[in-house]
Amino acid sequence: MTTVGTTQTRQGLGSRLAALARIVELGPGRADPRLLTEAGQLLLRAGDRLKLSSDHTVVALAGGTGSGKSSLFNSVSGLDLSPTGVRRPTTARTHACVWGLEGAGPLLDWLQIQWRHRFARASALDKGESRLHGLILLDLPDHDSIRAITDTEADRLIQVADLVVWVLDPQKYADASTHRRYVTELAGHDTVTIFVLNQADRLAPEELAECVADLEDLLRREGVENPVIVTTSATTGKGVDNLKAVLADTVARRRAAIQRLEADLDRLARRLAKIAPAEDAPSPPASIDDARRIGLTDALCDAVGVPAVGEAMENVYGVRSAEWVGWPYTRWAAKLRPDPLNSLRLGDLRDEIRGLTGGSVSAQPAEVDNAIQALADGLTTGMPEAWQDGVRDAARSRSAQLPRVLSEELTEVAPSLDRVPAWWRLLLAWQYLLVLLFVAGVIWAGTALAYGVLGAGELPGGLAVFGEAASLPWVGLMVVSVLGLGVLTAVASRNVVVLGAANERDRLEREMRRRIGAIAEGMVIEPVDRELARYNEFRAAMRSVRG
Amino acid sequence: MKSAANRPTRPGEDDPRLGEASGDASPDHPESPGEQTVAFRAIRDDDVVSFRTDDASAVGAEHGDENSAPDAGDGDPGDETAPADDATGTSSGEGDDGPAGDEVSPVASARDAEDGSEDAAPAPETADGSGDGTPEEAADADPGSADDAGDDDEDTGEDAGEDIGEDAEGEAAAADSGRPATDAHDAEAGDSEAGDAEAAAAGSAEDGEADPAEDGGGEDGNGPAEDGEDEAGTGDAAPGDRVRETPMPEEVSAALTGALAALRDSVADLAFGLDLPGAEEARRVQAEILAQLDDYVIPRVHMSTAPALIVVAGSTGAGKSTLLNTLANAKVSATGVRRPTTATPVLACHPDDYEWFAKGDLLGSLKRKKAPSHTSGLGELVLVATERLPQSVALLDTPDIDSVVEEHHEIARRMLDAADLWIFVTTAARYADAPAWRLLRLAKERGARLAIVLSRVPPRSREVVTKHFVRMLTEYGLGEVDRFVINESKVTDGMLPDDEVTELRLWLAELSVDDQRRTQAVQATLAGALDSFRTRVPALARHLEAQVAFRAELRGDVDAAYGRALAEIDEATRNGSLLRGEVLARWQDFAGSGDLMRTLHMRKPGRLSGKASQQGPERMGALKAAIRTGLESVVVSAAQRAAEETVTRWLNRPGAGEALTPAQTLGRPSDEFLRRAGRVVSAWQDHVVELIRTEGVTKRAVARLVSFDVESLALIFAVGLLGYGTAEVEVAGKNALPQRLLHALLGAESLRSIGAKARSDLRARIGMLFDDETARYVQALDGAGIPDESAATRLYQATYNLEVAR
Repeated sequence: MTTVGTTQTRQGLGSRLAALARIVELGPGRADPRLLTEAGQLLLRAGDRLKLSSDHTVVALAGGTGSGKSSLFNSVSGLDLSPTGVRRPTTARTHACVWGLEGAGPLLDWLQIQWRHRFARASALDKGESRLHGLILLDLPDHDSIRAITDTEADRLIQVADLVVWVLDPQKYADASTHRRYVTELAGHDTVTIFVLNQADRLAPEELAECVADLEDLLRREGVENPVIVTTSATTGKGVDNLKAVLADTVARRRAAIQRLEADLDRLARRLAKIAPAEDAPSPPASIDDARRIGLTDALCDAVGVPAVGEAMENVYGVRSAEWVGWPYTRWAAKLRPDPLNSLRLGDLRDEIRGLTGGSVSAQPAEVDNAIQALADGLTTGMPEAWQDGVRDAARSRSAQLPRVLSEELTEVAPSLDRVPAWWRLLLAWQYLLVLLFVAGVIWAGTALAYGVLGAGELPGGLAVFGEAASLPWVGLMVVSVLGLGVLTAVASRNVVVLGAANERDRLEREMRRRIGAIAEGMVIEPVDRELARYNEFRAAMRSVRG
Repeated sequence: MKSAANRPTRPGEDDPRLGEASGDASPDHPESPGEQTVAFRAIRDDDVVSFRTDDASAVGAEHGDENSAPDAGDGDPGDETAPADDATGTSSGEGDDGPAGDEVSPVASARDAEDGSEDAAPAPETADGSGDGTPEEAADADPGSADDAGDDDEDTGEDAGEDIGEDAEGEAAAADSGRPATDAHDAEAGDSEAGDAEAAAAGSAEDGEADPAEDGGGEDGNGPAEDGEDEAGTGDAAPGDRVRETPMPEEVSAALTGALAALRDSVADLAFGLDLPGAEEARRVQAEILAQLDDYVIPRVHMSTAPALIVVAGSTGAGKSTLLNTLANAKVSATGVRRPTTATPVLACHPDDYEWFAKGDLLGSLKRKKAPSHTSGLGELVLVATERLPQSVALLDTPDIDSVVEEHHEIARRMLDAADLWIFVTTAARYADAPAWRLLRLAKERGARLAIVLSRVPPRSREVVTKHFVRMLTEYGLGEVDRFVINESKVTDGMLPDDEVTELRLWLAELSVDDQRRTQAVQATLAGALDSFRTRVPALARHLEAQVAFRAELRGDVDAAYGRALAEIDEATRNGSLLRGEVLARWQDFAGSGDLMRTLHMRKPGRLSGKASQQGPERMGALKAAIRTGLESVVVSAAQRAAEETVTRWLNRPGAGEALTPAQTLGRPSDEFLRRAGRVVSAWQDHVVELIRTEGVTKRAVARLVSFDVESLALIFAVGLLGYGTAEVEVAGKNALPQRLLHALLGAESLRSIGAKARSDLRARIGMLFDDETARYVQALDGAGIPDESAATRLYQATYNLEVAR
């Protein structure tokens, strides 16, 4: 029964420790380095302790100087192993007494107990003390004397012992040095902490009761929910058996080591929780959803000015096409207008303006920055500060190259505004043909008018047909229809150009969008996704650590 | 009236010397400090008496004369200082208003022996005093005051004279060392003819003194007086009296009081807003110094006659309350097994001193209580009177220094700061505790007078423990301190068996009787406290300076970040990066679709020119909007980076983070920023249009031919300015299209000036925008408290002044 329970606990502890290891792995840069260091230390300690003898329970007698740790130690072990005295502080080195020596050596090594301070109870004490088998009792130096300021041995062992027995006495039971530094700090360690009110013989029974009640009150106020308080008197031996019974119970269950680690883990998890995302915080998306992708692409399109490029293309095509497919007569008429540029002797500017519209597309760096910023801001609500920064940095990881890459990529598809499609040339030729026809018609009509109607003379025989007055209406009709055809062609082709430009604009915008989307995917979304995944994994690990 | 009352004592001072001098018939006598002091007291009393019996006004007048006389005539330090002593003495003796009444009251109430002797003395003194000023008046006054003195002597002589006599005999040592002067008084008091004798003595003394004074031999006459005072400083008899009544000469005291008040003010004014490392400590030190000044130093300097306050401090469970109960022989302070036991300080004193402690300024900020209240012990002081304690020695039981209740430590520290002597109680189980030794170190640092009680020592290990403890103390440099060992014994009713504290009781009694020793102790502790200001206050000042410097650094961070942002914007508007994206496309649209050309109109209405000026207003609007958006985004992104950089810089400075908790909102531009940036940019655009309109003086040759559309030209100008880098005219640069156009239209000079104006205007507008942004950081800094830069200087100054005043 116990073994099963222990195994289960062990497995539970194992998975929680694994999660902690994951946190240590993922945490740097995102969590308080001190906590991570502590977590790393806890991992090391847990690994060590779980590797070492699980049959032994390390019990540390801790307390202030003069509370009677050594006396109690001797009293429990039944031997005068640790020197006691009236000088303060008495014990400077930790003494250890082991019940059941096999397998305890490495554990004692790990605890860094000096050889000459190790004692085995196996031989000397095998008289009915088998219930304490597996107990390693440590008599710590004090933690509150002037010596302890420079000596952290007690501190170290209090942190690693499986079970800590606080030896208090009526005079010192409320000392800040014990309570503030240890009891409050280790408030969640109820299961692996015992409080002993030693020197009970100094008090009258009713005083003792008051004292115990006061101590219990104090401990509860400090967060120790179920304090185990044993009153003893090391000098008279009263109550020592009770303590032994409590110890024997703990030792027999063989769970103190794991409980201690669990308590440590709980405490660390609580502290980590302060910097980690709250449990009920809105969970950020595992990856960036489509809406955000579209939002980013839109923003980047704006940064590149995709709609403006399209519009410019459309407009410029429209204007430009007029030179090719428009009605030549209006063009010629416009040329007659006085040109301000020419009057300013800036005629070459015209060519320059033409050259200016040679298509190139580029991205505006500041707008790219803002687009990325907006994406990151939208994602990180509810995240802890450090992770917000992390996501933002991930989003920005390649923002320096992004404008350049965008510009290069899009220039490939940028419309060259000064190109001239073949059909424009054809139409131009057609228009000129029509102009020729018009001119010819006008000449014919003139000829017919002159010779046929006015009888100005005789045309040579071959050309006599041109001089017939009867052809005049027909010629006139032809001239008019040629003009009309020119106008019609101009209007129609203009419409075709505009329509084509609109189509091309659509196509162009789609193409640019696609390319921008692809670039954003690779240079922004992917790093952010990675960071989000890291964050979510961290969260999951936090949950597992909390158990 | 008060001043008059204060002053009368001066002549008194002079008088006593004379009187005694003459009385003893030994030239040295006048000089002896003891006599001086005694005489002062006597005078005071006498004055009082004379005030009462004789006509007060006359005396006052006399005094006034006297005062003016010695001051003016002598100008000697001896004289001056002496009166000062008196003045302080009286002032301390007096509680409130009427000097005479006040002076009388102490006489009547408390002091038996001393009063008696003093009473005896005063009469002659007053006489002397008047004598000093004007011999004739003195002569007149003499008999009157002599009578008074005589009366007094008789009155008090019965009570006091005998008492004194006994005291003097019984505690010869004390009397001797304490105040030799009393001997004289005793003797006088003892004599039934004391009054006469003194009167006579005084008379002669007056004569004697008056002569030199009148002769202008003030130097001679005072010379001895000075000596006497000097001696008083070192001599046995004088110091006791002097300290009790007149700790310091008047000017010095006034200066000292002033210096202390100044110090107090400048310390109180400090604010350590930024959570630099050490700020917490600095705040604590500040509170401590303030409390010590209020509770102890200032009252103590004012009223050195106060009984000595002995603070019993130590660990919880060390038996402080038990010790106090035992010494007081009453359950004045609660004891028990609960730790910590005492929450409210308990002051036990002799009934005679009770009034003083009840009303006094010492620990004045604590509310006096008859019994500990059950609600809270903060800010309260339980005051009990007990006959078992000797006079002039009050014991103060304090909360512990090391229990879980941390407020207790603060209270204990505060009590210790107000103590004249410390009794440090520790136990056999605790004597190696770290908090105990921290306290001892504190005592050593402060130069406080200390006695150590090692309590609860098991009798069988007494020797070992004591030896070890003493060795530790010796190693620590505290080997010379008075030590008492109390065995662990049965506590009944909160008290130890009385024989355990016999030694301690003797020590207290000695302290009570031996004024000199007590005074020395008091003075030493006071000096220690004043000494400690020498290091503690400058430490505060240094921390304040650090804060000021730190704040400047933080401020510098903000400026640097935003300065860089401004430079970035400058760069972005010069290097052509603005002519990208939408702006570029719109510009191409604008130019390519012919709108650019249509900006210009022929001035001469040609045949077809009328129609040609039609522009697509939507394209122009789009270009304008694009420029605005582009510029806006440059500004916003720069502001974003600046905000981030500022916060990063701040967070990289240890101590800034916590003080500036709203850093989250500081990490990005303010909510309004986007809108405001838009407004700024469009305002600038409007400004450019206005510039072109008003300053775009067209070349005359051009103006005849061509007119232009101002809005469009402003746009072209903006594109040229921001997109092509520079408004300077480039002759044939390919990119300089807008410039060439503008150049041709407006002329180089005008273009240059408009370009410079537009650019500086843009910079100014963005600068203002950023100023608003930086204001948030400054606000955050100010919210954390603005360290006053001059406060440090004031602190140094106050410390220096204090040193000078001492």
